[in-house]
Amino acid sequence: MKNIGLILGVALAVVAAAVPAFGTPYMMGVVFQVAMWIALAQSWSMLSATTGYLSLGHAVFYGVGAYVCVLLTGTIPFEWALLAGAVAAAVFAAIVGLPVLRVRGPYFVILTYGLSELVRHVVMRIESALGSFGRMIFDVPRTEVLMWWMVGLAVLATLGAYAIRHSRFGAGLAAIREDEVAAETVGVPVTRLKLFAFIASAIIPGAVGGLALLRTSYFEPAQAFDPVISFTIVTMALVGGTETVRGPILGALGFALLSELLWSSLPQLYMIVLGLTLIIFILFVPRGLSGLFGRLGRAG
Amino acid sequence: MDTLLSGQMLFAALVSGSLYALVALGLNLVYGTLRLLNIAHGDLVMIGAYTAFWMISLFAVPPIISLVVAAALCALLGWAVYVGLFRRMLAKPELAKRVEANSLILFYGISVILQNLAALAFTSTSRGYQYLDTVITWQGVSMTGNRLLTLGIAAAICFGTILFLRFHLFGWGLRAVIQRREAAQVVGVNLNRVQLLTICGGFAVAGVAGVLVSMTEQITPFMGFPFTIVAFVVIIIGGLGNIGAGVLAGFCLGLVETYGIALTSPGYRSILIYGLFVGVLLIRPEGIFTKAVRS
Repeated sequence: MKNIGLILGVALAVVAAAVPAFGTPYMMGVVFQVAMWIALAQSWSMLSATTGYLSLGHAVFYGVGAYVCVLLTGTIPFEWALLAGAVAAAVFAAIVGLPVLRVRGPYFVILTYGLSELVRHVVMRIESALGSFGRMIFDVPRTEVLMWWMVGLAVLATLGAYAIRHSRFGAGLAAIREDEVAAETVGVPVTRLKLFAFIASAIIPGAVGGLALLRTSYFEPAQAFDPVISFTIVTMALVGGTETVRGPILGALGFALLSELLWSSLPQLYMIVLGLTLIIFILFVPRGLSGLFGRLGRAG
Repeated sequence: MDTLLSGQMLFAALVSGSLYALVALGLNLVYGTLRLLNIAHGDLVMIGAYTAFWMISLFAVPPIISLVVAAALCALLGWAVYVGLFRRMLAKPELAKRVEANSLILFYGISVILQNLAALAFTSTSRGYQYLDTVITWQGVSMTGNRLLTLGIAAAICFGTILFLRFHLFGWGLRAVIQRREAAQVVGVNLNRVQLLTICGGFAVAGVAGVLVSMTEQITPFMGFPFTIVAFVVIIIGGLGNIGAGVLAGFCLGLVETYGIALTSPGYRSILIYGLFVGVLLIRPEGIFTKAVRS
């Protein structure tokens, strides 16, 4: 039971491995989406679930990754462009991290949101000043290759989240969540730990943004930095449950399937369901699906 | 330079400043008394705007009457939120512990629902109507009737609220709750009543602001969020829970925005607003006009 997150991750990888063998491009697309949300939700949990600093601006890392990737594709192989996207997101996190992480509680939540929107508008301004209204990319890798990369990122994010939670580093982050002042008093280097967690949670979204860009082969800043991405990540993680590694996986699986059913035909209805589920889970199931299953497991 | 110093420019700044002050007033009252950062506040503006639009398009009811209808509608919503969600959240210790962050996410959910319900019901097409758009020229400054009305009503509500808080017994109780919630209860302020009436009042004010906006601008289901951000900027500059300074900050933002855009270009409006928002939060989350704030 303890390692169920890892088991789920491995199971997903196995399923993904089976898909290209007999799957349709549509199936590969679904796996790509599911893996993408798992990677994003796990990365988010590295900072927000461990420290309690709820980030409502993770779209900014996704967007930075996508932007760097679109600027570089064509000049270097896409693998290197993805890496550059991840590095750019991490560097961005390192630069803004110290001032942003001084702000606590609800202010941190709205600050991350505002920061993401600020970067979105700045990039939109830059792009329109350059006379570009969306960039097309040619020569994108095959869907199968992209799917493999995304599944790899999802596994990497899950392993990373697991490793952080079960390390000395993670214990320090948990201390910050419980009582930051007390943690600092007993010698936990809170500033450094928070900054590391912030950077760690930015890396994979940077690469994910690049991959998602290659899949759609079209870059438009309003979409790449869409606040709906941040909102979806938070909803998935909170609905899945933030106390365990399997939580974000459960949340991402559930919503990615729901989105397959509703997003293309009834996007507004999908958003309404997302909002309703979030409210219901915050009020009635604060420990999320993962907590719910845990309780059932113990009862049975 | 001439346009910058003209009365025309000042009038435009005052109109948008009064609207910002009004939208922020409601948010600030709700935050002060309930410690609730209502990220869905701008969506109430949207609801008010659609109320006015449908009232005039379907029943030919002028916006001046819709003001009352929108206020009542939003007040009702405030009551529902308070009784249905907020008390429930406080009743759970694990949620009450981090009530501010949790309520923020909760209200983000509400915001998403309201926006998309409106988009489903009314489609995403932007809409507008014409009302009092004749130009009045006074001392060389041209003003449309609807803008004049906006300025008048918004300023009246803002300053009326400040006077009410200063001179009415209920206003004293409200200020006491903002300053020290527990102490206010000890001296006999009915916390529950103050909170319920404040959330109804705060929501109603947002609805009124929405009616005013709809008289001069196009409305869409997603128009609310920029207002939420503007209101956050205003109350963070003024100091959370500091009502008077918030109104002042609203007018200041109107001036900064109008002249800032005049000096650069309208394309920079969002960058200016979000830049201020991030900058103010990073430098002084407790507000610029406040001396000190208790947690």
